[in-house]
Amino acid sequence: MSEFIVEAKGVTKVLGHGAAQVYALKDISLSLRRGELTVLMGPSGSGKTTLLSVLGCMLTPTSGAVRVCGYATEGADAKVLAKLRKDHVGFVFQSYHLFPTLTAAENIQLALDIRGMHGEDARAKSLDVLEKVGLAHKSASYPRELSGGEQQRVAIARAIVSKPSVILADEPTAVLDTSNGQAIMSILAEIAKDPTHGVLVVTHDSRMTSFADRVIHIEDGRFVRDERGSAAAA
Amino acid sequence: MPLNLTLALRNLFHDRLRFVATTIGIVFSVVLVMVQMGLYLGFGRMVTTVIDHTSADLWVMRHGTKCFEDPSLLSHSKQTGAAATAGVAEVTPLVIGFSGWILPSGEITPVFVVGSDLQILKPWNLTEGTVRALSGSGTVAVDRSYFERLGVSGIGSKANIRGLPVSVAAVSEGIRSFTTTPYVFSDLSQARAYIGIPSTMVSYLLVKLRPGADLEHVRHDLQASLPDSEVLTPAEFNERSRSYWLLGTGAGAALFAGAILGIIVGVVIVAQTLYSSTKDHLDEFATLRAMGSSNGYIYSVIIYQAVLNAVIGFAFATLIGFSVVEFTRSGALPVLITPMLVLVMLVLTVVVCIAAALGAIFRVVRIDPVMVFTR
Repeated sequence: MSEFIVEAKGVTKVLGHGAAQVYALKDISLSLRRGELTVLMGPSGSGKTTLLSVLGCMLTPTSGAVRVCGYATEGADAKVLAKLRKDHVGFVFQSYHLFPTLTAAENIQLALDIRGMHGEDARAKSLDVLEKVGLAHKSASYPRELSGGEQQRVAIARAIVSKPSVILADEPTAVLDTSNGQAIMSILAEIAKDPTHGVLVVTHDSRMTSFADRVIHIEDGRFVRDERGSAAAA
Repeated sequence: MPLNLTLALRNLFHDRLRFVATTIGIVFSVVLVMVQMGLYLGFGRMVTTVIDHTSADLWVMRHGTKCFEDPSLLSHSKQTGAAATAGVAEVTPLVIGFSGWILPSGEITPVFVVGSDLQILKPWNLTEGTVRALSGSGTVAVDRSYFERLGVSGIGSKANIRGLPVSVAAVSEGIRSFTTTPYVFSDLSQARAYIGIPSTMVSYLLVKLRPGADLEHVRHDLQASLPDSEVLTPAEFNERSRSYWLLGTGAGAALFAGAILGIIVGVVIVAQTLYSSTKDHLDEFATLRAMGSSNGYIYSVIIYQAVLNAVIGFAFATLIGFSVVEFTRSGALPVLITPMLVLVMLVLTVVVCIAAALGAIFRVVRIDPVMVFTR
C-alpha cells in the first residue's frame, strides 16, 4: 500500500475560455499521506476549491497528473471519475448537502446504497458511524430538526461510512460558531489518526490550523507555504 | 423498501401542492383516455350486439354487405340451395330494416325491425312476456328503455308500423341500438310487412351446421354454390360491422383523437411537474453525483417518482372511470371498461409518465457535480 493516497504533479487548471480564461491552479504539486490531517488555507479566489475538485476527481487538470489511490485521472471520462470518487473519496461540504426528506441515518445509508450495500447491514453501519460522531440519539431526526453542527457531523458520518481512503472537506466550519467548528475539526482530526485515511480540509479560518499535521497556504493558484508539525499548528 | 424508492416517495410528498396538481393532471388525462377508449369499446359492442346474440355458425349475405344494418337483400330462393349443402343442418332467413312506428298520437318515430324464426335469433333479456307470444299476429317485442319514445307502457300497448297494427307482447331490458333507433323484434313474415320486403327476398341466411361438420369446408361449398353472396363466420361479420361503423364513418377516429389528446395532456403535465421537481432537488442530485453515484441510480429516483405519480393518479382515475361506467350503463352509449382496458391503461400511464420523466433526466445528466462546492 502506497504511503500517499493522493499525488498531484505539476497540475495546472485553466477555467473559462478566451478573454474570460483564468489560471485557477498553476503548476501545483502535492502528496497527501495516510493518517494525516492537511489544512489548505488561502483567501477567496486563491484556487482552494478548484484544487479540491481536481483532487476529488470532479475536475481533470488542464495539464499535469493526479493519482488517487494509485489511479490516474488524466483522460478519464465522467463515468470513471465517478467510480474513483465512489471507491476512494468522501466529501464534506460547507453547506452539508444533506437530503432534507431523509433522516440522519437514511442520509448516511444513502452513501452505502449507491455503493450497493442495502438493508439491515447498511442500517447497522449507519447507526454505528452516527455513534462515532456522537449523534446516535438523533438517527431518526430530519436535517431540519438538527443544529448546524449536528448536520455537519451527519455529513462527516456520511463521508466516512464507506471507509474512503481520502476525505476532502470544503470549509466544513465556515457557517458554524467557534465551539461547533472546533468540535467538527476534532472529529476530522480523530478520523485522520486512522492510518487508512487521509484528510484534506480547505478553510480560511486560521484557528483551525491547531488541529492540522500539515498546513499548506495557497494564493493565486500557487502554493506559497507548506508547514508541518509545530510550525503548522503555530 | 429500497432507499432510492424511499427518496422518490418522500420527494414526491415533500411539496404537497405540486403533488396534488400533478395527480389531478394525471387523473384528468387518464379518465379522458379511459372514457374515450371505453366509448370506443362500448360502441364496438353495441354495433355488433345482434350478431353476438345470434347462434348461427355462418352468415350468408349479399356480396359487399358492409354491416348488419346494410339494406342489401338476397333472393330467398338461395335458402334451398344453401340447405342442400353437405354439412348444413338448418338455414334460417332473417330480415332487417328501418321502418316508421306510428304512436297513438299520430307521431312517427323510426324503428329498426328484426324478423326471424325466433329460434336462432330472438330478443334476449326478456323481463315481460315470452318469445312464444311473438308468434301471434301483429305482436312485437320492444325494449323498456324506449317506452317513452314509442309511446307504450308495457305488454298490450298498441301502435302502428307502416299502417299495420302492432301490440307489444314481450319487453326486454338493455337491448339498445347505437343509432338510438329502437329495435323491434317480430317473426319473419310480419317483419317483411313492417319493412316492406317482398317474400322473395331476405336480408341474411343464418346457417347452422350439423354436429362434426367442418366449418371451413362447408363455407367453401356454400360460397361456391352462391356466387353473388358472401359467407362469413360470426367473428368475421362482427369485425366487418365494427370496422365499418368505427373506422369507415370516422366515429372511431374521433374517439381516438380524444384519447390521443388525453395522452398529450398527461405527458405535458407530468413532464412539466417532474422537471420542476427535479430542478428543486438539483442540489441533492448534484450531491449524489459528487458522491460518485451512477447515473442509473439517479435516474431510478426520478423514474420511481414518475411511476409513483402514475400509479397514484391511475388509481383515482380508475375509480372515476368505473363511476362513469355505472352512470352510463343505461344510457344511449354505455362506456365499457374491460379488465384488459384497465391493464392496458395502467401500462400506458406508467410508460407515458416514464417518457415524461425524460426531460428531468436530461436536466440531471447536465448537472456538474462541482456545483456542490458553490451552493
